[in-house]
Amino acid sequence: MNMTDQAVAPLLRIADVTVRFGGLTAIDRVSFDVHPGELLGLIGPNGAGKTTMMRSITGVVRTTAGGVELDGVRLDGMPIERRIRCGLSLSQQLVKPFRGMSLLANVALAAGSAKTSSPLKSLLHLSRREELAVAREMLERVGIAQHAEQNPAIQPLGILKRLEMARALALRPRVLLLDEPLAGLNSKEANALSSTIQDINRQGVTIVLIEHNLGEVMRICSRLVVLDNGRKIAEGAPRVVMNDPAVRAAYLGGDTLASAAADQSDTTTACAALGGQHA
Amino acid sequence: MDYEISLLTTMSISVLFALSLNLITGFCGQISLGHATFLGIGAYVTALLGKAGLPFLATLPLSMLLAGAIGAVVGLASLRVRADFLAVTTMGVGFLFVGIIRQQDWLGGELGISGIGGSGLSKTGFMLLALLSTAAVAALCLYIRASWMGRVFNGVAEDEDTMRVLGIDVPRYKLAAFAIGTALAGLAGALYAHHLQFIGPDSFGFVESVTVLSMVVVGGIGSVPGVVIAAALLSALPAWFQFIGDYKLLVYGGLLFLMMRFSPGGMAGLMSRFFNPVQTSAKGER
Amino acid sequence: MLALELVAQGLVQGSIYALIALGLTLVYGLLRILHVAHAALFTLGAYVGVMVYNATGNLPLAFALAMVVAGLAGVATFRLAYQPILSQPPFVALIASIGLYIAAEETFRVVFGASGLSFATPPLQGQVALFGGIQFKTAELMVMLGTALIIAALGWLQTRTRVGVACQATVSDPQMAESFGISLRKVRDINFFVGSALAGFAGVWVALLNNLVEPTMGSVPSYKALAIIVLGGLGSVRGTLAAALVLGVVEAFGTIYLGKLLDRNAIAFAFLILVLMLRPQGLFATR
Ligand SMILES: Nc1ncnc2c1ncn2[C@@H]1O[C@H](COP(=O)(O)OP(=O)(O)OP(=O)(O)O)[C@@H](O)[C@H]1O
Ligand SMILES: [Mg+2]
Repeated sequence: MNMTDQAVAPLLRIADVTVRFGGLTAIDRVSFDVHPGELLGLIGPNGAGKTTMMRSITGVVRTTAGGVELDGVRLDGMPIERRIRCGLSLSQQLVKPFRGMSLLANVALAAGSAKTSSPLKSLLHLSRREELAVAREMLERVGIAQHAEQNPAIQPLGILKRLEMARALALRPRVLLLDEPLAGLNSKEANALSSTIQDINRQGVTIVLIEHNLGEVMRICSRLVVLDNGRKIAEGAPRVVMNDPAVRAAYLGGDTLASAAADQSDTTTACAALGGQHA
Repeated sequence: MDYEISLLTTMSISVLFALSLNLITGFCGQISLGHATFLGIGAYVTALLGKAGLPFLATLPLSMLLAGAIGAVVGLASLRVRADFLAVTTMGVGFLFVGIIRQQDWLGGELGISGIGGSGLSKTGFMLLALLSTAAVAALCLYIRASWMGRVFNGVAEDEDTMRVLGIDVPRYKLAAFAIGTALAGLAGALYAHHLQFIGPDSFGFVESVTVLSMVVVGGIGSVPGVVIAAALLSALPAWFQFIGDYKLLVYGGLLFLMMRFSPGGMAGLMSRFFNPVQTSAKGER
Repeated sequence: MLALELVAQGLVQGSIYALIALGLTLVYGLLRILHVAHAALFTLGAYVGVMVYNATGNLPLAFALAMVVAGLAGVATFRLAYQPILSQPPFVALIASIGLYIAAEETFRVVFGASGLSFATPPLQGQVALFGGIQFKTAELMVMLGTALIIAALGWLQTRTRVGVACQATVSDPQMAESFGISLRKVRDINFFVGSALAGFAGVWVALLNNLVEPTMGSVPSYKALAIIVLGGLGSVRGTLAAALVLGVVEAFGTIYLGKLLDRNAIAFAFLILVLMLRPQGLFATR
């Protein structure tokens, strides 16, 4: 732990969270802090439990044990919608746009959260002008404004992933949780979108990013937490974490560990290799 | 002339009743197989209070209030169950209601309550009142559809899990839909009681719940104009074609089945398919 | 004494419920459809049974034909009514099914008349005293025995035969089953046939117990069978059996002790609602 950890209180604190599905322990006593203003990468091989971690933070999945705190407020036991209204926002791995409405309307629905906080309030508001403007801005930010009027049912995954992210952004969160936002994008698009993510972060939104594209993760994340088999196996600065033998083992499998570690002293090539395997 | 006035009143009450279910099932996506219960609650409240001497117009809000309150309780209970469970639970509420009425003498028991009346209005006046109420309710529905509430309902109907991730308090919205929809059904029930001047347990049973559902479905779930037209036509059908009288249920059942089998979007779906055959039409929002 | 009698009555009724609800559960487990029209096959079976018996005087033949006709009608229902709308949201099939049931009920009324049919010389009407004095009709004993036998046979078929195992596999994971070369279509056909044949079987028993078949005889069982499969946890065969028997007994006691307050149907549904409030996943759901 370095100086800054103690200096600033964490914005989001994950303390000893365990999640079990029947007999399977998907998350096993994982703890980490997310500091205000940081862009934290949450990585790990397929099935490591990253998505489950995000879902337990937002309350989509119930934690078996442990606690989540946002800015000193305990979120445990709160329903999803209250956690969201506390300032969390989740862009899900599995995209579920509303198919009955355009991309723009999808995002506007999220942007209207001030007007939908209670049924009575929602009944008293008709206009959607401001929300549509916000929605358009968000779509522009993630680079799909030209599809605004189209129906999500006919869009490819890359566009839907960005729609999902625009919707999450439209909630104006304090902590934005992104689950594989770059999936389904080609390398140019991925590069552009991860720069956007970096911009959003610089404008003051704290971000937790799950991503298999390790090249981009290395480029934009300030810190990494690595999960494997439901456990946290490493945490720290990206370069340090990437050279951690345990992390390499988790990604490459036990046997190849030694040779891989020996061959690749340069972190960036190692990352390219890791990214290539799991993108 | 009397006959036409009576028929128009009946049609208008049916439309009002169907619109109230459309709010719950069409707008908010919560299927109800026991909606006639709330028609019944409204009818019994106005009948009993009327017998006790309360003026007709004063009983109307009370009918709505009690129907809406019980509707909210049912809504609260059904928050615990989803989709298929909800359908069966609401159906159970319907059977429970009829079962209770049947065994209670002070509610008229099997025989029901007759000699309801004294709305103080002429037949034409009553028809106008019914038409006016129905028009007001239709306007309310259109308003809700255009408001943020309507947008939220739309989302809840399609995918409530995603709505929660967008920070929507889904249970409260469902409750709101139940409360508004059942209160409006109570209004329809009060009008119904004063129109027919007789009510009994069989007027509010499962068949009635299915009938009103068939109106909503045939009109096109969620479509206000579709439901208005379907409810008006289906309620007038037996009167216009005397021979149908005996086969009314056969026609209803058959229509319900054929509509779902060949055009799940109802008449509204048929229309939009007819007018823009290329686009896979999206409802409501554009 | 009264308590024992009520339990016995409840079990007789519960057996009938079980036979009807079983088919419903099979369909639900496989297709997630609340198959209200199932009760029309129950009524159909009853009509076939009475007509065959009145024509031939052969009860086993009456049962066999009732089951085959109901079973085939069930497969036809699936192919013509449900198969084309499987991809629609679930309420579509539910409402279609309700419409189908109402239309079927009315068709029975138009074709066979509203007053119904009865046996010319009703069989199995003798009285037997058991357990120190409780009176049973022979038919009542036979229905319990018949239900137990047929359910045991089904259980055996399901675990010991290729077809049975295929059916089970399909219920738990349709895609996986298909990739192992199990024909979904065949499994669905078989399920509808078996479930509907059971309903037909139940129909003949009810005809025997009441010595009457009428167009509306299916309506109460159809709604109650829905309550039962929900109580049983939707899709669980064992849960359904248990729920059917429990509900039969609850109703028998309820009509005696709560009859002043609620009628028989209301008791069943009050019980259902109560259970769902306490256990939203049903009485016997495993998850
Ligand atoms: N709802 C659930 N029920 C049962 N098991 C689940 C559930 N959700 C996830 N799991 C299991 O938990 C483990 C962790 O899954 P999770 O989706 O969190 O991994 P992940 O790190 O996000 O993987 P990926 O990189 O493939 O998205 C997996 O073994 C998965 O099968
Ligand atoms: Mg994941």
